[in-house]
Amino acid sequence: MKTNYLFPHRYKWVSGALFAIAFVLLTFLFVFTDYEDSPQMKIRVFAIADGFLSDNVYFKVVDNSILDELLMLLVIVSGLVFAFSREKLEDEMVAAIRLNSLAWATIANYLILLFCYLFIYGMPFLNVLMGAMLSQLVIFIILFRYKMYRFNNPRQDEE
Amino acid sequence: MKNNIKVQRAIHNLTQQDLADRIGVSRQTINALEAGRYVPSTVLALKLSRLFNKSVNEIFDLEEGD
Repeated sequence: MKTNYLFPHRYKWVSGALFAIAFVLLTFLFVFTDYEDSPQMKIRVFAIADGFLSDNVYFKVVDNSILDELLMLLVIVSGLVFAFSREKLEDEMVAAIRLNSLAWATIANYLILLFCYLFIYGMPFLNVLMGAMLSQLVIFIILFRYKMYRFNNPRQDEE
Repeated sequence: MKNNIKVQRAIHNLTQQDLADRIGVSRQTINALEAGRYVPSTVLALKLSRLFNKSVNEIFDLEEGD
């Protein structure tokens, strides 16, 4: 089956490695460093919106550390390429497995988000929102890799 | 849906890998087809039909509940 939305297979492992490294760095930046003493790359950037609570500014140039922006850019781009690049042997059953994984990842992601929405309040909920930026992609990647592993290594009794 | 791909493959003396190469899918897909775990697209069914020189109806058969 011809699929036109997939990236070439040769990008797969490069983007996978980049994704893993950038994901770990980003997690480390958000989870294990306080905002004040985290590494910074302060430059002047254009902001559509910036501010804290009430004193917001719109369409202004502001000071901001772009380290997290760069990491997020790397995580999302490499994650998308890794998740949606061709398998070594791409056929219609792989396409079916991909679609199935995507559907289950979407369902699982929203069940988790709903659970968090119902039981997590206040400032900790900001962490949920941060996690929600990448959770669907990460769940899809894990699910699809697991299913492809099972597909490529069927149990002996199924031979 | 039932199929007799395994039988047809034996008649034509092909391994799963040979058959996979002939119709452009992976060996695992042939394996899943023979085990009844995957229902192929019309295109793939027609390719099998052409390769085995049998009509699609002679290779695939509906089951109860299909």
